[in-house]
Amino acid sequence: MLEKIKNFLGFDVKLKENEMVDDPIFGKLPRAKKPEHWVKSTCGYCGVGCGLYIGVKEGKATLTKGDPAHDVNIGTLCPKGLSEHQMLYASNRVLYPKIKKGGQLTDVRWEEAYAEAAKRIKKIQQEHGNNAFAVISTGQLLTEEFYALGKFVQLGLDTRNYDGNTTLCMASAVSGYKQSFGSDGPTASYEDIAKAEVVFVIGANLADNHPIIVHHLMKNRKNKTIIVADPRRSKTSQLANIYLPIKPRTDLALLNALAYIIWEQGWYDERFIKNRTNGWSDFVKHIQHYKPGEVAHITGIDTKTLYRLAQLVANNKTLICWTMGVNQSAQGTDTVSAINNLAMMTGNIGKEGTGPFSITGQCNAMGTREFGFTSAIPGYRKFESQKDREAFASLIDVPVEWIPDHRGYKYADIVDAIDRGEIKGLWVVCTNPLVSFPDQKKLRRALQKLDFLLVQDAFMSDTAKIADMVFAAATWGEKEGCYTNSERRCNKANKAVEPPAKSKSDFDIILEFAKHFDRHDKLFGGWSEPKDAFEEIKKISKNRLCDYSGMSYEKIEKLGGIQWPCNEKYPNGCKRLYGEDMRFEHEDGKARFIGAHYKPLEEPPSQKYPFILNTGRTVEHFHTRTKTGQIKILDDLAPEAWIDINPKDAKRLRVKNYDRIAISSPRGKVENLVVRVTNLVAPGTVFVPFHYNTQLINMVTQSLFDPISGEPNYKQTAVQLHSEAYPAGISLHEPIAGILEYERATKERQSTFTIKQEQE
Amino acid sequence: MSAVESFIEYKAKTGMQCGSYRIDLPPLKENQQYRFHFDATKCIGCHCCEVACNEQNNNPAQIKWRRVGEVEGGEFPNVLQMFLSLSCNHCIDPACLIGCPTNSYIKFDNGIVFHDDEACIGCQYCTWNCPYDVPVFDESRHIVTKCHMCYDRIEAGQTPACVQACPEGAIEIEVVDTKKWLQEDIDKEGNAPFLVDARLTNSTTRITLPKNMPQALHPMDEDLIKPAHKEWPLVFMTVLTQVSLIGFGALFLGDIAAHFTNLPKPSPLMAFVIFALAAIGLPLSALHLGRPFKAITAMKNLKTSWLSREAAALGAFVAGMGVVALLYYLGIDGFLRIMVEAVTLAIGIYGIYAQSMIYRVPAKPTWNRVTTTYRFFSTGYIGTLILALLAIAQHQVNVANILLAISILLGAAQLYLFWESQRFYERIDPDNPFAYQIERSARLLRENFKSLYDFRKRSLPLAALALPLLAIVALNAGSVGFGFLFTLLAVVLGFASEFVGRLLFYSTAIKTGMPGNFFAGSQRP
Repeated sequence: MLEKIKNFLGFDVKLKENEMVDDPIFGKLPRAKKPEHWVKSTCGYCGVGCGLYIGVKEGKATLTKGDPAHDVNIGTLCPKGLSEHQMLYASNRVLYPKIKKGGQLTDVRWEEAYAEAAKRIKKIQQEHGNNAFAVISTGQLLTEEFYALGKFVQLGLDTRNYDGNTTLCMASAVSGYKQSFGSDGPTASYEDIAKAEVVFVIGANLADNHPIIVHHLMKNRKNKTIIVADPRRSKTSQLANIYLPIKPRTDLALLNALAYIIWEQGWYDERFIKNRTNGWSDFVKHIQHYKPGEVAHITGIDTKTLYRLAQLVANNKTLICWTMGVNQSAQGTDTVSAINNLAMMTGNIGKEGTGPFSITGQCNAMGTREFGFTSAIPGYRKFESQKDREAFASLIDVPVEWIPDHRGYKYADIVDAIDRGEIKGLWVVCTNPLVSFPDQKKLRRALQKLDFLLVQDAFMSDTAKIADMVFAAATWGEKEGCYTNSERRCNKANKAVEPPAKSKSDFDIILEFAKHFDRHDKLFGGWSEPKDAFEEIKKISKNRLCDYSGMSYEKIEKLGGIQWPCNEKYPNGCKRLYGEDMRFEHEDGKARFIGAHYKPLEEPPSQKYPFILNTGRTVEHFHTRTKTGQIKILDDLAPEAWIDINPKDAKRLRVKNYDRIAISSPRGKVENLVVRVTNLVAPGTVFVPFHYNTQLINMVTQSLFDPISGEPNYKQTAVQLHSEAYPAGISLHEPIAGILEYERATKERQSTFTIKQEQE
Repeated sequence: MSAVESFIEYKAKTGMQCGSYRIDLPPLKENQQYRFHFDATKCIGCHCCEVACNEQNNNPAQIKWRRVGEVEGGEFPNVLQMFLSLSCNHCIDPACLIGCPTNSYIKFDNGIVFHDDEACIGCQYCTWNCPYDVPVFDESRHIVTKCHMCYDRIEAGQTPACVQACPEGAIEIEVVDTKKWLQEDIDKEGNAPFLVDARLTNSTTRITLPKNMPQALHPMDEDLIKPAHKEWPLVFMTVLTQVSLIGFGALFLGDIAAHFTNLPKPSPLMAFVIFALAAIGLPLSALHLGRPFKAITAMKNLKTSWLSREAAALGAFVAGMGVVALLYYLGIDGFLRIMVEAVTLAIGIYGIYAQSMIYRVPAKPTWNRVTTTYRFFSTGYIGTLILALLAIAQHQVNVANILLAISILLGAAQLYLFWESQRFYERIDPDNPFAYQIERSARLLRENFKSLYDFRKRSLPLAALALPLLAIVALNAGSVGFGFLFTLLAVVLGFASEFVGRLLFYSTAIKTGMPGNFFAGSQRP
């Protein structure tokens, strides 16, 4: 009572806790937060890989500070990184393993959880075969955890059906690199973004998604031309010298046309083509289909601009970087290869300030690509290669028959197989398909058919809520290991605080769980900590492209991360791949030109669904918002999903800012999107962020995947909008005359491409 | 080697402030101070500065000293999207400091406008005064807080949090020559779209804007209009003190008139009722403070703060009325009482004038009009109505008639001022530099507060004119009962109408500030 009165009268203004006190490392800090010690680590959100320090006070993380000595972020962090310690104390943490009992997820002891899960997995595998149990993992574990998990799943559980959510984001880059260079592996460094004379950003919104990379992009700004191709007037496009308002998913046509112009004008690098590539003459034939006049029509970028672009790309030190705008497409792999073509023909690879360069979205998407055992045998080895299988088996001392000789189902195939009843059990590790996967109705229908759904996560995600069992995992700041960033930099992440309650690091969970299965001793005998996995990774990666053999934890920390390959030849790592001294990874040591054709949208806008929906991210949030949705300062800035609508379309729909609107496609409907009227999107197109389970945009996206990488085509969906004035939606075209014109245009486009393919 | 040490070398090479935890600022010379430089061509709207500021200053999520606003202009694909990251502008003539009744703001020699937390009573007057909407009331601390440019970090050669955190180097600390700034540069470099003219408070922040900005720009939150605080304690306090003042004025005139005419002397009851209104109303104002126990210190800054002046004058006015009521009670009249009344009235008039001047601040364009002062006085028609009611109860029909006539006169003025304000909202002068804010206030009245506004429109003519007129008619027709009833209704409806009117006055007063965020608006609680 007295306290209440004192509080009402305002006695205490909390001077003491807000008073600044001296910290020996970071200077004046408020007493309430001033750490007792700092733990050096790496950010656990995106693939930029920023170095940071976690401040620990009384066993709690109180601050996150950018590491000023780290080359990636030189002391800065994005808003998510700056508030990362808050994430550890989110109210939705999974604190205890759980088993569904009587329809309710109930806290249990670990031993009970392991035994029950093992029993159910074994039952499924005995009754329906090993491959009837599938695993979907993530891009956010530590490399050591990925390696342990991959080994356990592929060799221990002996199921081929193992994939990661990386198939939803970087798979096309992986496949594209493989097609062109014979192996996965981003070629450049952030330093190259800083030093390039031309940076061609295609399908990437760095300013929202990788703000710290913009720091490198803006270096040397006066001597640099920035080109941004994006159907949306993104934050990144505001920084560009040239903005290309490209029509949705016409990037492959654009890239082919640039190749054509460079060939036509003789701006190509003959020496590089001759010495280091294959397939040039076929490629030249291929690009004859992409005359600038026609491509101008397809892309909406006029011929003059195309020539200017080609000239800039060809005659300067050019770096081409991309993210989801390219990858998340039904022709993502080929588009990546088309980017590689452009770099190869202009010799813009393996040199300072050049390179085709994919920027990853998750903190350790790269780690799973290197050693995750999903799309390749660890160390960028091929399933199909007998030699690779034998080498790997002997390195880890297991029978060669244990090593899989083919890749199993990809993510979407796993979902289909569940739907067909072929796969009966699923283990989801640190990802949330119930928000992130396209065509949610189909996914949810499939998941209902599972006999057993096990979710391993640090947060009570939407997927964890429907699970039969949940493994309570630790998260960033509570465990130790490595993250590899976009530029192949292996960074060390350290444990600052203990995992809450009974949660454990994914590494511990995997090792302890594996004990319930036969092959444990052979796979993990003598392992007790992440370092044991790291030592094995060093061994198995020796003489591979992703060579860790020259690394050690201490060295990684000392150098602020090491870019692989790191070995005797490159003791401190290697800034870029495929320099003069490095072969390409195809058998003949050369890169290959890939001639791939542009295809028009499988689901073009129609009378019934006249708008094209694009989805993407916003700077405040990460993925499915299980973390950032819990951090008030971030969530307040973007608490729910909005839809960007051009003022012209808003007028037609008679909607204004903050009205609520529904969106539909043949697959489903999403209600209650907040209207934001803005010129940042073109008329006829709309944008909705994908983070929100409250307005789940993946209810309308389609089951359309890149045939090579298996990556979903998230970014172009034909949709209808339903406003209060037009509950049935609108047609974008005026009656009769307009319709004829529109149809003719569509037909013309299709017919030109039929002709082209016939010529092939 | 600590993180900071290893970075010094890098920083020396690049000369940049972003990312660095150390800053080298030259010593200040005469007429120099520190200031922010914000470069809108570099800002990418990542909100790092906001988060870093809150982390550094241990502020709760909703208390933001630095905020990022967003504007857009042009047509696809030729669109400009621009972000403005602003915190305190450390003005040369800070409105917060001038208005603060407790002298809680200090302009340091290095130019930083510093807020002394312990001295603050949480009156929030600075949150009305600052045209950039910078100071923010932190409920958990009961006080207003604001950006101090991380002054203790600067003193120790360390970089302020926002400057350090900005990945694009869009925020810097610079040294400005205030004389030169005011003479030449402020008009070119101190302004930005949707901010008030930098000369209003002589803001020091240098803002670099993109070249060739589109003609028409829109803040992203232009349709997000949040009502201002309702300020219930102030609604009652202001109306009651104003009613009391006019009532007291009538009492004074009645006391004089009784000496020269046949009219009866005002009764002790009248004196007491009029005193009671203000005596109840004035202390209510302490309830809106974050720290009511320090209310008395609101009188510290008589020199520059209208709030201090109001508090002191109205305090004296209520005390004076108390003495007068006592004199009536004791039956002491004559010259002494008239003198005490005259002095008290003069102080009261000044008090209500000072009260009105509190609201005449440029940051609140719908308040910043001379009519605010007029309205604060004419609201007192209820005071004479109350006296009329008492007169009728005491069977002084002739006194009641006179008082009702005065009420009608004041009521007519009040009604005219209300009609004038309706016109003001309906025909907003597009050249008015504050048209944006006034338009938003008008939308609040039309949309959010439509029913209250309608009530105000209908009740005021009734309470201020129709009912008092009917009362006069009834009284002169010999019906004291109906006269009483009509007057009573006028008092009740008049209070209701004025409370509602005052509530609208507070809650629809849109502040000047900065363009906002689509969801979070101006990011003010």
